[in-house]
Amino acid sequence: MRKVFQPLLLAATVAALGAVAPAVQADETCNSPYVGKLIKGQEEFLHVWTLGVQGLGDGSDKLVTVDVRPGSKTYGQVIHSLSVGGRGEAHHMGFSDDRRYLWAGRLDDNKIFVFDVGSDPARPKLARTITDLVAKTGYVGPHTFYALPGRMLIQALSNAKDHSGVTGMAVYNNQGRFVAKHDMPVGRAEIGGGDGYGYDIGINPQKNVLLTSSFTGWTNYMMDLDKLVQDGEAMKRFGNTMVLWDLKSMQPKQVFGVPGAPLEIRWSLNPSDNWAITASALTSKLWLIRQDGAGQWQSKEVGTIGDPAKIPLPVDISITADGKGLWVNTFMDGTTRYFDLSNPEQPRQTYAKVTGKQVNMVSQSWDGKRVYITSSLLANWDKKGEHDEQMLRLFDWDGKELTQRFEVDFYKLQLGRAHHMKFSARPGAARAEAGTPQQVAAAPR
Amino acid sequence: MGGSRAAAGLLLALASAALGAQFEPAKGLVARPRQDFVPPAPGTYALPPIQDAADGWVLDGSWWPRRLAGYTHGSLTLLSFVYTYCTDPIGCPLAYETFAELQDRLRADPLLRGRVRLVSLSFDPSHDTPAQMKLYGGARARDPLVPWAFLTTYSVRWLTPILDGFGQDVEVELDAQGRPTRTLAHMLKVFLIDERGRVREVYSAAFLHPEVMLNDLRTLALDAAR
Repeated sequence: MRKVFQPLLLAATVAALGAVAPAVQADETCNSPYVGKLIKGQEEFLHVWTLGVQGLGDGSDKLVTVDVRPGSKTYGQVIHSLSVGGRGEAHHMGFSDDRRYLWAGRLDDNKIFVFDVGSDPARPKLARTITDLVAKTGYVGPHTFYALPGRMLIQALSNAKDHSGVTGMAVYNNQGRFVAKHDMPVGRAEIGGGDGYGYDIGINPQKNVLLTSSFTGWTNYMMDLDKLVQDGEAMKRFGNTMVLWDLKSMQPKQVFGVPGAPLEIRWSLNPSDNWAITASALTSKLWLIRQDGAGQWQSKEVGTIGDPAKIPLPVDISITADGKGLWVNTFMDGTTRYFDLSNPEQPRQTYAKVTGKQVNMVSQSWDGKRVYITSSLLANWDKKGEHDEQMLRLFDWDGKELTQRFEVDFYKLQLGRAHHMKFSARPGAARAEAGTPQQVAAAPR
Repeated sequence: MGGSRAAAGLLLALASAALGAQFEPAKGLVARPRQDFVPPAPGTYALPPIQDAADGWVLDGSWWPRRLAGYTHGSLTLLSFVYTYCTDPIGCPLAYETFAELQDRLRADPLLRGRVRLVSLSFDPSHDTPAQMKLYGGARARDPLVPWAFLTTYSVRWLTPILDGFGQDVEVELDAQGRPTRTLAHMLKVFLIDERGRVREVYSAAFLHPEVMLNDLRTLALDAAR
């Protein structure tokens, strides 16, 4: 799938080669701990996995690359767009362990696109398309892409048999070949039950634990949101659990009751911490998963996001590098909130700002000074009419106020719906710093 | 590590080597990953094949070519790519120290003694000649119970398909002015290969835990006995 950059090896001995090295990738605080070097300086490019819209531009799903280099002539502008053909509910992405490739999934047609972002991060190329997920696993809706050494762990959302939320995780090697599958637990009384649902993945290597969360199946996530919320039976079909797995054996060990669709999982990056946090979408709560003094893992509701009665729908969260703060985006009210996590048992909201008519993903730079926001949740869940704003916005954060630096209007540019974001940079331009093993070990997705 | 400080450190290291200093690859340089758990018992979990081990022509202490497949079949193998002047505390020195610990423990392990081979293959054939790798291996390369091969290749041309086959990244680190340094940036990977030449696990710095690696070897040994 990749070619070693041959002249660079020669440079190891001649130390004076004119060739340009392939990219070292940047990243923020939410990648797999097995992904290569973190960028702790300025990211250069932002890749946005974008849902195509019928009648808008070429109508295709696409990977959009935005120049985010301060001082660049094209700062804040789209510099590359790579259409993959068709519309299949483009959703999330994840880097391979060496960060040369970006895997991106579609929840409807189950295609997985592997982009080469290492050769030239300003101009990603499509390296491979994987189409055998359903045939190999029976799973539907490849959602989370979480690097393991030499392979990719993929959390699905549904299954091909009944399109419910009962699903599992698939493992593919870095060459794109299927390796293994792991069903989510269902009704396993000896470990606390299990509803079979899946959503996100978070690994803590030093504890040998993997956490998963739960959302809903194809039938629901492809349904029009207005119709869905009026369907009482459909609204019962959301996940209400998180599962703690033994990472080495990939066996589920403990099921936690976390009602209301717990979504994104973030382990604290602080090496001395032993907890992860999540937000439940339907109940608008923050939940902590923490190891107690006796070594047992416990789940606990620790905070409220907005007014749960209004269903603000917390969708994405982003933890600071020191584990002391958490950004939370609530989709319905278009608000970006900051919680002080100094005491993770008692998160405290200290800031809120309406950052869009609808907001979904939030990604911060490693130093916490820049916060990127996008707008799309799911094609059939996004707002309609004048409220269907599709954008990328960058804000500066000085610890007190979010100040907008630029905006990319994805509708005006005929691109589509802006969803998941990942950073990259060229080597030399943004210095990568190797983490200590402790940092590596504790780094969450 | 990168930039002028890295280059200065490298030059210092090379100067020391040139003066005939005994090479001590790991001493004081490694930062081990934390292991706050008891690993699952051998044989209680599966290690599905991930990919086939790559093959190619390698050199083992002389300029006589050998097939890498000869080092990845017939025994349980732990293979890692290194370069001898690497100083990254979560890179080659960590791999060396982990292999050294495993070699000592495998020697005393009744199930695994005589069944496991260690392989260190150089990223930098221009610098790491067969003689250099021999020096790097020292007495560790002469253990009859737990063989540890210190391999290199003729040139990058011969190395490239092996790296590609394993999916091992490497690139020259640039300094602040964007010029190539002598530091090779790479993610540490150790490949666990079964007796049929199939990769069954890949370890990176975040989970290079000797206890886990030993249990994985035992799991494969038990698998083979069934």
